[in-house]
Amino acid sequence: MSGARLVFDLAGAVAIVFAGIMVVHRNPIKSLLAVVVSFFAIAVGFVMLSAPFLGAIQVIVYAGAILVLFLFVTMLLNLDTESASSDRRPFQRGLALLGIVVFAAILLSAVRRSGSIVGPSGEPPATGEIEPLARALFSQAALPFEAVSILLLASLTGAYLLMRREPPAKTGSAENRP
Amino acid sequence: MNVPLRDVLVLSVALFSLGLCGALLRRNAITIFLSIELMLNAANLAIVGFASRVGGYSGQIVVFFAIVVAAAEAAVGLAIFVAVFRHHETIDVNKTNLLKW
Repeated sequence: MSGARLVFDLAGAVAIVFAGIMVVHRNPIKSLLAVVVSFFAIAVGFVMLSAPFLGAIQVIVYAGAILVLFLFVTMLLNLDTESASSDRRPFQRGLALLGIVVFAAILLSAVRRSGSIVGPSGEPPATGEIEPLARALFSQAALPFEAVSILLLASLTGAYLLMRREPPAKTGSAENRP
Repeated sequence: MNVPLRDVLVLSVALFSLGLCGALLRRNAITIFLSIELMLNAANLAIVGFASRVGGYSGQIVVFFAIVVAAAEAAVGLAIFVAVFRHHETIDVNKTNLLKW
């Protein structure tokens, strides 16, 4: 077993264990912190798959920015832990679990036959260097790159509009309001 | 490549199934959203695995854009949760089951 494979399998085991902790924990803060560990392990997996830039992005953007935003909102909302007794739908839960097991079995049976389905496409394999990735990103993917910047601006504006409180009605200006 | 594609895909399937489990079984909207993020990450991992096998950088660029879109989605989704919480004082999905009032 090569070193890269050993590290990848260890990171994958950590990711699965902490994703399981996220699913079973009732306290949202604890499941959030478990997901942070899981995403770090996925970042290690990216690095082992010769995509170190994506590993860095995963740590900085996902574990660093998105999950901190989640943590901030969770603490802001001051949520209680889920109570086990309030759930009165055991039938649906069992059905959901059955569906997930069948789904995973179908996917795994497909993966089992994936041994040699993907051949080389003629392009040289990614070596993990940043420079050719940046060249491809700013030449062949320049238009989507600009498009996602507009998307980020739109989501920023949308988030601001959703979070904004209605300004208090001033006396005398009530007739201007619809 | 040193890491066999099968290991990558098995890990991706396991993470996706766990995320699906969380999305279907939890009732806290933030945990459901986290589970969806986990499923997105599982898909990203599968794409990077295939990209490392095929060669070239197209797969990594796709994952890069997926992460950016996930960031935008997280901002808007969490803003919606805060708005819902202001209205209902809870984000338990069993209790916030009406689109109006």
